[in-house]
Amino acid sequence: MLYIWHLSILLSVLSLAIMLLLIVRRVLHERRGTADADQRRSLLTALIAFTENRDREALKAALLAVPARVAIDAGFEFISLLRGEEHDELVAAFNECGLPALVGTQLEKGNGAERIHAAEMLAALRSENAVASLLSALDRDRSREVRIAVAIALCDVGALPPLVITLRKIGVAGQRSRRLIELFRRFPPKRFDELRDYAGRQDAVPFIRAAAIDALARAGGFQFGEFFARAASDRSPEVAAAALRALGLTGHANAPAILVRAMENSGWDVRADAADAAGRLGLSELAAPLAQLMDDEAWTVRYAAANALRSFGQKGEQLLREIAVSEVSRSQRTASLILAEGPAA
Amino acid sequence: MFDWSQEIVLVASILSWFIIVTGLAQTAVYLLQLIIAGYALSTRPPVARSALLWHRYGDVAPPIALLVPAYNEEVNVVESVHSMLALEYPNFEVIVINDGSKDQTLQRLIEGFKLVKFHRPYEEALTHKPIRGLYSSPMTERLFVVDKENGGKADAQNAGINVCRAPLFCVIDGDSILEPDALMRAAQPFIDDPERTIAVGGTIRIANGSRIEGGRVREVRLPHRLLPLLQVVEYLRAFLMARLAWSRINTLMLVSGAFGVFRRTEVVAVGGFTRGSMGEDLDLVIKLHRHMMDIGRKYSIQFIPEPVCWTEAPESLRVLARQRTRWQRGALECFFRYRSMLFNPRYGRVGFLGFGHILVVDVLGPISEVLGYVLIPAFWLLGILSTEYLLAFTSLVFTYGVCVSVCSLVLEEAELQRFPRARDLAVLTAVAVFENFGYRQLNNFWRVKGWWQYLRADQSWGEMTRTGLTGPKK
Repeated sequence: MLYIWHLSILLSVLSLAIMLLLIVRRVLHERRGTADADQRRSLLTALIAFTENRDREALKAALLAVPARVAIDAGFEFISLLRGEEHDELVAAFNECGLPALVGTQLEKGNGAERIHAAEMLAALRSENAVASLLSALDRDRSREVRIAVAIALCDVGALPPLVITLRKIGVAGQRSRRLIELFRRFPPKRFDELRDYAGRQDAVPFIRAAAIDALARAGGFQFGEFFARAASDRSPEVAAAALRALGLTGHANAPAILVRAMENSGWDVRADAADAAGRLGLSELAAPLAQLMDDEAWTVRYAAANALRSFGQKGEQLLREIAVSEVSRSQRTASLILAEGPAA
Repeated sequence: MFDWSQEIVLVASILSWFIIVTGLAQTAVYLLQLIIAGYALSTRPPVARSALLWHRYGDVAPPIALLVPAYNEEVNVVESVHSMLALEYPNFEVIVINDGSKDQTLQRLIEGFKLVKFHRPYEEALTHKPIRGLYSSPMTERLFVVDKENGGKADAQNAGINVCRAPLFCVIDGDSILEPDALMRAAQPFIDDPERTIAVGGTIRIANGSRIEGGRVREVRLPHRLLPLLQVVEYLRAFLMARLAWSRINTLMLVSGAFGVFRRTEVVAVGGFTRGSMGEDLDLVIKLHRHMMDIGRKYSIQFIPEPVCWTEAPESLRVLARQRTRWQRGALECFFRYRSMLFNPRYGRVGFLGFGHILVVDVLGPISEVLGYVLIPAFWLLGILSTEYLLAFTSLVFTYGVCVSVCSLVLEEAELQRFPRARDLAVLTAVAVFENFGYRQLNNFWRVKGWWQYLRADQSWGEMTRTGLTGPKK
């Protein structure tokens, strides 16, 4: 029994000693924090002055007068606020002061948060060695969050490796992150074919394929109509739904037939997106299947169908009114609710 | 004549062993949590500074509905809602659910936001007391108010879940204050792993003593009074140690009802919050674990320490006692309601570790410790037990307690450093030692009282009297 007592005394004393050390460390940090804040303030003053007088030498002197980490931190946020010539001159001053080299070191040796931030800063500073540092990080970094941030940075500087290779380097576990949507949205138009090819791969993760289709629809548009039309009958509900959303944006000659088929899909999200696309495209000839969909077991589908009918204008609203006064059913209740939506009379 | 002394010694030894073994099990659980929490903090996903969050996640952050049940909140409700509407998140709506308040809560909202009656179709996926009306504001598209008959917090939250349209919802108490970037931080797991993440909890911190202006915590300070100060250490231990540790191994059993983000689909699938439950937040998370394991889908319920919600801690013993007995009843209610999950191989780590933790810490812990306070010194004084037993019990109740409390402070300072001044740390270290001599015992007494109320099927919620974060309030 005594060892329980002895061990407890030892552990308590040890924890108190560590805490004491941490308090001392905090006192030292507080002093350094005050100095950092002062330096940050003086640098921001110099940066604001630069936007007025464009005195690059004075700015460089101010940058070199503060610790590099303070200069980088304050500078990055300031750079992101600027555009055009002012932005370019400021970036040039940072490069001439050799700050990107420190950012490169941070990308290799910092903690996870610092490495992600370093990737973003390298993309913003666009130094000579940025691409090499980023490519190396994409190859070697142990954190998938960092690898995704690096891929986005590489995309921004126009040096992203082929998509298949990039995604392989990010790893399968990272291929569920919504951050990849951000990567796809930044894709340069001349490489859209790569996105399309990847979205068409049956062996790829459905989430990624759907994200690629969404990105193409938002940015690429009409040239991929045929591809979207094919993808609308994909085995994966996630991919099919994304393709239907895309069709809702771009349209297609066969859209009515495709949407009618999709409205019979077993996946509720596919049916809902088909109804939504019909509404977006104003396909009033689909009023009958949409009216049927208002009896769907899933509320989301019923609501999307009713909304689509309402978006058809008078004709749709007339149909909704007829359903609303018919016998009590799911369709009747949905129609009543959708017609009443909005401020109360 | 029969000699009873041997039997008395035997009974005393058995009781002492039960008390000491339970205490050892509790201590072992805490130490295990400390180790896992330390590892989790050192390997946690990168944390961005607040200024970078929008830049990085703004475009891909999923829509979130903020559900705010309000019952008799007339004093602060308008200011609270203003503060929620000013949160830094690209796509969110605030749904205030007036749960049949007897005061002017609804009227204050109508006046404060020029509310007008509104029809909004919604799916009646969860049952709740009837809704009397929905209101929207011409001042902002983000605000909706649901006026319903009184049915309790869980009932109000269910009504909010029905009305909301976002794929994620965040539950928050009407009198709590979210950090401006809290939603963005809480959404991060849903961005990094949208398929598996179904719930995320953040840290609840005590705002007593801090400077609060315009519905924001402007300056973090420690409470001036002892009782809330003790709760600061207690909350730190609960959130930073227990929740972080269990979250690391996907065994998190509680996402606080004061601040948690959930995926709507899964919550609807388990029937929402259990109405009338004393521990509706614990109950929901257990249901989510059970549901996901039953259907065999990979999932993740996470706790992340960075998103912070500020709340007001009770400042009087009377109110604190009510709160703690209610929490104890909630834990017992959930434990016995889902007892089939305990040590059930079908539920793996949740059945063994999660429920094992509730068994040791919440079910057996208080009883064995309070028994120990009385019996162990008595047996020792009567000469039935040796000094070794007394020392073992003392170490379990006092010294290990000091170690665990101080270690959670060590974790906080080593990894998060959220207390602004070194002086605060020194004060908290003293409090972490002090709380084991009196406060811990008092807490255990309240928990035993909670046990008694549970056995008597006492379902009273108890009035939570608050002085108000931004002004006097009841």
